[in-house]
Amino acid sequence: MRSTFFSALALASALFLASPAVAHHGFSVEFDDSKPVTLTGTVTKMEFMNPHIYFYLDVKDASGKVVNWAFEGSPPNILYRQGWRKDTVKPGDVVTAKGFRARDGAHLVACNTITFQDGRQLSMGNGNVKGYGKN
Amino acid sequence: MTPSSRAPCFAIAAFLALPFLTACSGGTSGRTQASAPPDLNGVWSAPFTPDISKALGHQPPFTPYAADLFKKEDEIDDPLTQCLPIGPARGIQAGLMPFQIVQTPGVTAILFENQRTFRIINTDGRSHPKDPDQTWFGDSIGHWEGDTLIVDTVGLNDRTWLDTAGHQHSDQLHLVERFQKMDNDNIKWTVTFEDPKFYTEPWSVTLPIKRQNTEIMSYSCEENEKDRVHLKRTNTKK
Repeated sequence: MRSTFFSALALASALFLASPAVAHHGFSVEFDDSKPVTLTGTVTKMEFMNPHIYFYLDVKDASGKVVNWAFEGSPPNILYRQGWRKDTVKPGDVVTAKGFRARDGAHLVACNTITFQDGRQLSMGNGNVKGYGKN
Repeated sequence: MTPSSRAPCFAIAAFLALPFLTACSGGTSGRTQASAPPDLNGVWSAPFTPDISKALGHQPPFTPYAADLFKKEDEIDDPLTQCLPIGPARGIQAGLMPFQIVQTPGVTAILFENQRTFRIINTDGRSHPKDPDQTWFGDSIGHWEGDTLIVDTVGLNDRTWLDTAGHQHSDQLHLVERFQKMDNDNIKWTVTFEDPKFYTEPWSVTLPIKRQNTEIMSYSCEENEKDRVHLKRTNTKK
């Protein structure tokens, strides 16, 4: 009985780690995992709010034009337990963000990780990189 | 946002205090139970299982009607996308967020962090209403068998999904859940889905529920909802 139970635990853990942490909608109806993107820019705004946190980056394209991109992460309660706080990412910070583009072509990204200039890396809730700070 | 600074929810607090007040006023005081049931109080979480068939090992035994509906269904139609309530079993198995069990002699409540919804499980010996209204969380009654709380739920509407993958049910859904206390930090949760309109026979899934060192936090789906305008139909089941 117990061994079956803990086998179920292992299976369920694997399911969790394989699943994008999207709170109130399926990942694939909004984002395209065949379109990974990595962008570096300056944070213009942080919304540490439900059902997803958003931060916005001014990013220069190849022609030098600045485009403001939105990056979506897990809900604040999930990120809070990973160590995030509302001021973990602040306007003026320069970060590199990785994720997947929105299907509709908007300047919107489901963000996996962000990396600060000092090398600190944070997960946006997919569970593949640990956050930092106090829980 | 922090657990310690969040505003108290007076309505839930008042509700939760009621059974204690009833007991102290003489309703059950003085009685001694032959054996006290296990204590399920605490904050718990089951692993996020957005496709319940993965935990089952195969697709559930669809009726032809349900099989056809499942093939056509798209995650864009997920009730959670519309910020509607998560439902009784999905709140445990795919809520992504923890839940708190508050256990009293006559009622056990499950407080979901997901959309701050809750279940009421009456354990005072009552039966289901004869013709229950159909609601998002249904009518739940429970009783103890040794170390296991057995919960029977009927009176559910047909508007929730069982998971993100789009397994659905009708208003004939009958849930039987077994919450077996394994040790201080572990509950073995087995849920049986019985729904003759959607499934040819009852089927069951077992998942581990683990105690969490956290508190229930705030969650409002509509607070800053910006996704719906970007959603596209992407049915990948074909």
